[in-house]
Amino acid sequence: MLDSLPYELPDLVTAAPLDTHRSTVLPEWVDWNGHMNVAFYVTAFDQASGAFMRNMGLGRRYVDGKLGMTFVLETHVTYDREMKEGAPMRFATQLLERDAKKVHLFHEMFHAEQGYLASTNETIVMNIDYASRRSAPWPVPVAERLETLWTTHRLLPKPAKAGRVMGLSKR
Amino acid sequence: MIELDLGAPFDRHRATVKPDWIDWNGHMNVGYYVVAFDQATDTLCQQFGCGFEYTRDKIGMTFVLEAHVTYDREVREGDELRVTTQILDHDAKRLHYIHAMYHAGEGYLAATNELMLMNIDYASRRSARWPDFAMERIEKMAAAHAGLPKPKQAGRLIGIKKK
Repeated sequence: MLDSLPYELPDLVTAAPLDTHRSTVLPEWVDWNGHMNVAFYVTAFDQASGAFMRNMGLGRRYVDGKLGMTFVLETHVTYDREMKEGAPMRFATQLLERDAKKVHLFHEMFHAEQGYLASTNETIVMNIDYASRRSAPWPVPVAERLETLWTTHRLLPKPAKAGRVMGLSKR
Repeated sequence: MIELDLGAPFDRHRATVKPDWIDWNGHMNVGYYVVAFDQATDTLCQQFGCGFEYTRDKIGMTFVLEAHVTYDREVREGDELRVTTQILDHDAKRLHYIHAMYHAGEGYLAATNELMLMNIDYASRRSARWPDFAMERIEKMAAAHAGLPKPKQAGRLIGIKKK
């Protein structure tokens, strides 16, 4: 386990949910149906996970410094409404659970101007040791930040779209 | 329409990991696993007559409602991928299925993608019943896949296990 990180960490944002990440639907994310393709919702959410991790102190320098990486283990997406090219996106992120090596995150993607919910993404992200490419405990300052964030995020209600199992409901 | 392939599971889709699918961790990025899986969905939908021409000819579209991905192992630039598909369930408008992505050379499971797909009317962009030509083929493939065991990655709930 890393006891410290050899770079300055950004000021911690403790807002619950975390509501800092913004993005725009790029032209190359649009498919033959004329809307953002399913895969690029996942790319957009992955960038929101990146924003969450940067807030924890794990940005590009964590990888470039050959200290560690974060890998997604599993992800669940609900596609609620279409997004067209150029649409502005706003993301809200809730920490649902954390342990020594992993976080369980829930992202909501909103159309930033029209306000509607476009999609949700529930995801598990794991800390990885750079050299072995195997799971490893969070660096100590990251674990501390997760605990600080947890004190506010644990009080949020569980999102209605979290914990879904896929299937056709028989009517 | 192409001849219907009733192999169980459906085992036609092949792909190669492209250089621009790689991220700063040196492996295929999570979003591009879904790009690869979405292309496997195109290969599947072609079987039902609901591929590119279905939309180009303004007949209909297919939209994904929900997706679940398990990332089981890394794949690298240039790796050859084999994707198999199993129909799990269907109704008048929807199709529930799961893809499994394998490293074609080494044989290991790289990822799975469970999906709920809905048929969409082109003009209204709203849900619509599968056209008869598609439904007939979906039912045949579903029957061919009915004897397959349910994959353990299907129907998963995301969470961190308490020890």
